Amino acid sequence: MTKEERLKKRHSAEKRFRFYGLMSIFIALLFVLILVQNIFSKGSSAFKKTVIKTEVFFDQELLEIQNGASEEEILNTDFYDVMIESLINSFSAQNLDEENEIIRLFSPDAELEIKHAFLQDNTLIGKKVNIDLTASDDIDQLHKGNYPRDLPEDRRRISNFQLNVYDYFVDNKKISKNFNNYYFTKGDSRDPELAGIGGAIIGSIYSILICLVLAFPVAVLASIYLEEFAPKNKITDFIEININNLAAVPSIVYGLLALQILLATIHLPRSTPLVAGITLALMTLPRIIIPCRASLKAVPPSIREGALAVGASKFQSVFHHVVPLAMPGTLSGTIIGLAQALGETAPLILIGMVAFVVDIPSSPIDPSSSLPVQVYLWSESAERGFVEKTSATIMMLLTFLIMMNFLAVYLRQKFEKRWN
Amino acid sequence: MSNEHTVKSYEEELQNLKDSLIKMGSLTESQMSDSMDAIIKVDKDSIDKIIKSDDEINKFRSKIDTQIMNLLVKRAPMAIDLRETISSLKISQDLERIGDLSKSNAKKIKPLPLDLPEELLSNLKRLGDLVIKQLNDVLDSYINKNFDKAKIVWEKDEQVDDLTNIAMQSVIDFLSKDKKNLDFSTHLIFATKNLERAGDHVTNIAETVCYLIKGEYLKGSRPKGKQAQE
Amino acid sequence: MNKVKIKSKNLNVHYGQKQALFDVNLDLNEKEVTALIGPSGCGKSTFIRCINRMNDVIDICKVTGKIEIDGVEINDENLDVVSLRERVGMVFQKPNPFPKSIYENISYGPKIHGKGETKSELDEIVENSLKKSALWEEVKDRLDEPGTSLSGGQQQRLCIARAISVNPEVILMDEPCSALDPIATAKIEELIDDLKKTYTIVIVTHSMAQAVRVSQKTGFFHLGKLIEVGKTEKIFKNPDNKMTQDYITGRFG
Repeated sequence: MTKEERLKKRHSAEKRFRFYGLMSIFIALLFVLILVQNIFSKGSSAFKKTVIKTEVFFDQELLEIQNGASEEEILNTDFYDVMIESLINSFSAQNLDEENEIIRLFSPDAELEIKHAFLQDNTLIGKKVNIDLTASDDIDQLHKGNYPRDLPEDRRRISNFQLNVYDYFVDNKKISKNFNNYYFTKGDSRDPELAGIGGAIIGSIYSILICLVLAFPVAVLASIYLEEFAPKNKITDFIEININNLAAVPSIVYGLLALQILLATIHLPRSTPLVAGITLALMTLPRIIIPCRASLKAVPPSIREGALAVGASKFQSVFHHVVPLAMPGTLSGTIIGLAQALGETAPLILIGMVAFVVDIPSSPIDPSSSLPVQVYLWSESAERGFVEKTSATIMMLLTFLIMMNFLAVYLRQKFEKRWN
Repeated sequence: MSNEHTVKSYEEELQNLKDSLIKMGSLTESQMSDSMDAIIKVDKDSIDKIIKSDDEINKFRSKIDTQIMNLLVKRAPMAIDLRETISSLKISQDLERIGDLSKSNAKKIKPLPLDLPEELLSNLKRLGDLVIKQLNDVLDSYINKNFDKAKIVWEKDEQVDDLTNIAMQSVIDFLSKDKKNLDFSTHLIFATKNLERAGDHVTNIAETVCYLIKGEYLKGSRPKGKQAQE
Repeated sequence: MNKVKIKSKNLNVHYGQKQALFDVNLDLNEKEVTALIGPSGCGKSTFIRCINRMNDVIDICKVTGKIEIDGVEINDENLDVVSLRERVGMVFQKPNPFPKSIYENISYGPKIHGKGETKSELDEIVENSLKKSALWEEVKDRLDEPGTSLSGGQQQRLCIARAISVNPEVILMDEPCSALDPIATAKIEELIDDLKKTYTIVIVTHSMAQAVRVSQKTGFFHLGKLIEVGKTEKIFKNPDNKMTQDYITGRFG
């Protein structure tokens, strides 16, 4: 082969290689785009809720309190009758069935929403006020275009009458979509329109915090000991091999471990962020130790020698000089480990976080759910309304994960800049 | 002497310097020998040849200077190499002076008569032969790095002084015999003195060679002959 | 004639099975610069690392024999190595300033030894150390900048200032100029000339010319043995040992 032929062959090989590379990137991006588009299209509607503007008459005869009542009195008062009256009056019903059908157009929380309005302004008795009441999930889904209208009535969840009322509301501009604050503030609920990730977020935050507080110091100190102080013998090698292996253990095994030891033996409260945090900490330990050790190893020996030569003890040279230099790598590793922990589902299911928890936990020993588990639970439900909420929660999870990864990159760059 | 320099060109440069010095030495030796012969035979034809050969010697002087400068700037010589380099400088200076003295003596033949007394000439010859032998011995001691031989040359300076006195005495006797001998007698006096000074330079070379070999200077002042009687 | 500051007696060093130093007996005088020369691997760095017990950090390294500083044995197990290193400072071949500010580089040593408690005391120590290492004028306006932002020669002077900051008695230098350009080297040699009035200095160097320029006493090592030691002038003009002469003239094959 002549020189030109060889050159040509090499060039075409390089071109092919570049093409394969670009193709693989393109295919990968394509999959990502498909995934993102799928989730976004299903989930973005969850951030809005359908509300029906209803005229509410605070009839004194139906209420036991007066204008100017205190908060405690208001909270103890029943607003049920006011609600029923107002709802029925929003459309002309012929009979009791139709009245019930109208009432079912609204979410079960309508009474609370009316009470809440009165809490904002306790001089409303005797007045008629327009309040945006949350619609039921059937109306919500219908309004968002997720329900087909052309099925026969017995196969639909909404009766013809209800459809008429809905159309009436739409024509009179009484229906609109507001920002879905319930999604963020409320806990889980049987009613999709009232379900939110409030509880799951708090549960996740508590779990991750406990995981961080337990795993980070133990992991970092263990790494420092193993890397700097432990004698180089077979025992240390054995420990190192085991730590590396632990990082590869399937997370569900940690769930089993937690089930047996934390719940069955120590009897810690089930389904709590405390137990979740401990389980996640066990899982995250090796994932922090490995990058931390690598960062410690990467610190050049000249730094240690320089510190020793100026009269620092081994302890001082490690903690004043080596550890700060290893911090960028350690922190990125920690944040990535925490991000992984955030998305863990299997071990949390085993420790009972699949329970149906309505209240927002106020402490780490209250039962709660967590974001990924919430996704799992909602994905199993029948109601249409949960589909969009599942996808919305996946979006929230992904957002948190991306934010944490950016934080890792930012912190790493900031630290590295300081040292250079 | 010892194993060679790792850098071969360094070894070559040092060897070239030594070779130049040895060649300059042998040129000086033969020039001195020619000059002596010419005086004894009062051979006026060979004066030009002797003067020309001095040019050769001076050329070597510049060549050696250049070689030394190059060694110093390039190699920063240490220990024995440093002593070798500096010694070459000093020895070449002494050799050049000896060459000048031989040339000066050759020039003094011109006005001499052809019938100088036998005794005077033989005394001069003995002095000249001794100095030539000293030069030969000291160059030999340099080539073979023979400390003892160099030391003997250094000590023999005493003999040179003695023979100088004897030769000087016969010139003075010749002078006092006949006043018309005054003119060329002064030349003869200077020629004798030049031979003594050549002997001093040879002794310098001997001292340098001793320092080169041992790394220390010879102790004590060089042995001196009895003063000439005035 | 300066009195002896450091004395080694029958010093032997093993790295596992391999012996690196054989029965080294060497006296180092105070307020004087002693140069240690010899081919690579001859043990000169190993020797100076014994003086501040830096060899302790190497697990397989075993030191036997005596080293005395001012008559006090330092190879004693009970000796506090930290306070030894306060008295014996070290400057390394490749400049290794801490990745902290210039100020912190110098103030670290005094702080951990309790030598500067108030800010003004530390300020003074930093200024003095930098002045003594001829670096003050160049950095006095940027003490907060990282030590690693300086040039190679400046970094090495910073390391010297760092060594001086704890007020040592001895400064060990392991080929301090080998990574520097000629001008930076000249500045450091000038500095060493000045420092020897206050400190005892031991310098390992591969440059014959540097050894001649800066030291008053020179020791020649070969394959772990001290072959010859003496006044620098004598060693380089007329050494006693043929091996020494062969090495310094470049006849080692």
